[in-house]
Amino acid sequence: MSETIYVSEPISSTETILVIDDDTDILALLEMSLVSDGFKVITASNGVIGLENAKAAQPDLILLDVMMPQMDGLEVIKRLKDDDETRAIPVLWLTAKTQTEDKLRGLETGGDDYITKPFDLREVTARINAVLGRTRPVKYINPLINAMGDSFTEEGVAELGSHLQAAAEIQLKLLPEKPPNFPEFDFATMFRSSTSVSGDFYDFIPLTDTRIAIVLGDVKGHGIPAALLMVMIQTASRLLSNESDCPGTVLKRINTLLFHNTDLEQFATMVYGILELDTGRFTYANGGHCPPIHFITGTGDGEQHKNSDLRVELLETGGMLIGAFDIATFSYDTCQLSKGDVLLLYTDGVTETEGREQNDFYGEERLIECFSKNLTLTAQSLCDVLKNDLLEYSGTTQLKDDRAVVVIKHTNANTTPT
Amino acid sequence: MFDITTDAQNTAVVHVQGKIIGSTVAQLQEEIERQLQNGNNKLIIDLKNVPLLDSTALGVIILAFQVLQRSGGKLVLLSPQKAVSSVLEVTRLTSILEVYETEEAARNAFL
Repeated sequence: MSETIYVSEPISSTETILVIDDDTDILALLEMSLVSDGFKVITASNGVIGLENAKAAQPDLILLDVMMPQMDGLEVIKRLKDDDETRAIPVLWLTAKTQTEDKLRGLETGGDDYITKPFDLREVTARINAVLGRTRPVKYINPLINAMGDSFTEEGVAELGSHLQAAAEIQLKLLPEKPPNFPEFDFATMFRSSTSVSGDFYDFIPLTDTRIAIVLGDVKGHGIPAALLMVMIQTASRLLSNESDCPGTVLKRINTLLFHNTDLEQFATMVYGILELDTGRFTYANGGHCPPIHFITGTGDGEQHKNSDLRVELLETGGMLIGAFDIATFSYDTCQLSKGDVLLLYTDGVTETEGREQNDFYGEERLIECFSKNLTLTAQSLCDVLKNDLLEYSGTTQLKDDRAVVVIKHTNANTTPT
Repeated sequence: MFDITTDAQNTAVVHVQGKIIGSTVAQLQEEIERQLQNGNNKLIIDLKNVPLLDSTALGVIILAFQVLQRSGGKLVLLSPQKAVSSVLEVTRLTSILEVYETEEAARNAFL
């Protein structure tokens, strides 16, 4: 759950080590060794030059000798720590074996670790990596800075905004561009995102000439994480739709996939159904999603139905929400779409649309009422009527939640139910 | 936002006041984590005064439920209002999460 990006390997070969020691043999030795380990090395043969280099070059780590003429290591580190520009740079002491007291004082003064002379070059590299390993997560703690690097500026953020816009566009492209076109059925969709990218989705997957899978769901949360999970579910359902004809099995397999590949608190709710275009049979499984509504008109397309004839069926059969629990089973059921019937699939962004009063929600009841009065309209007009009713109810076009709606209307008088 | 009562049997009742949406969700998560750190592994989330919770809040409850289940503890819910009840039912969380109407009944769930 932590946002920290932990990097244990060197980020790049450009990490810079400043070595300050009055012994030029040691400087040469360390420079040779560290360069071959992939570091950039700057050397300074006394404390004064060392301080200047530290300020100018902003090294990632300083190797500092304790005993030096002119300005000793303790004075150097004091000045490093007193200066805002150099305070955060980790310091590794180089100290002779006999200088135990110095070691302690050195660590107290702010050194991060020490190496005793004579030293093993491999040990020096290991210590440097250990210290840099501790500071790397701090340096790269902000994923934005990590992702954007030098672009972490106003212009850079604007550019990120354009990336988000691009992500939203990619996501919209993943949704079917147009509802499917079949003479027997009238399809329409409505999709609105409360942020630039959405966790809601729907999909139409052609299976055979006469069968099409219809998917609609809602991934927990908003924004990029929800959208990524949505893409995962959409891909999985497209692949699984070819492998199983049973909606319950498809949901179970998506559940297993999500459970093992996402955080525990990540989940989705979704409906997966297969519509037989020749018979009007709709076989579905509902994974913890607000139930699709089947308006059974029993009258015929284009005829004004009598309200007494209208029945409403909620498609509730299925199982748990998807991805949160390992063991989940999903049952499935079938409903018969007859001439004039309307099937409405939607996400809870519709029913949870807030009204003008506090704690007032649009709700399933008003949704059913809105559709019931307009069932003679085309699927697209039903979407438009719903959009207007939501606007009238909330008094605002501002969305708090994403919305996805799929409306399917059976229009073919020639289809005979089996 | 939260009113906590604990007892010697490691039970903590988290009485939540108001909607659990947006930034409140993180506060609930922190509060639950705090209770777990304090060794309270029997959690009652009192939803009596919660008119609404969003899906992220549901995620936090699911996570806490599973963490406690794995570590031998337990989480139960107390007196959800209609809107919250309906979310629990639609998502079928009621088939896994125990929901009680009185605190006494909720406490008995730990016996």
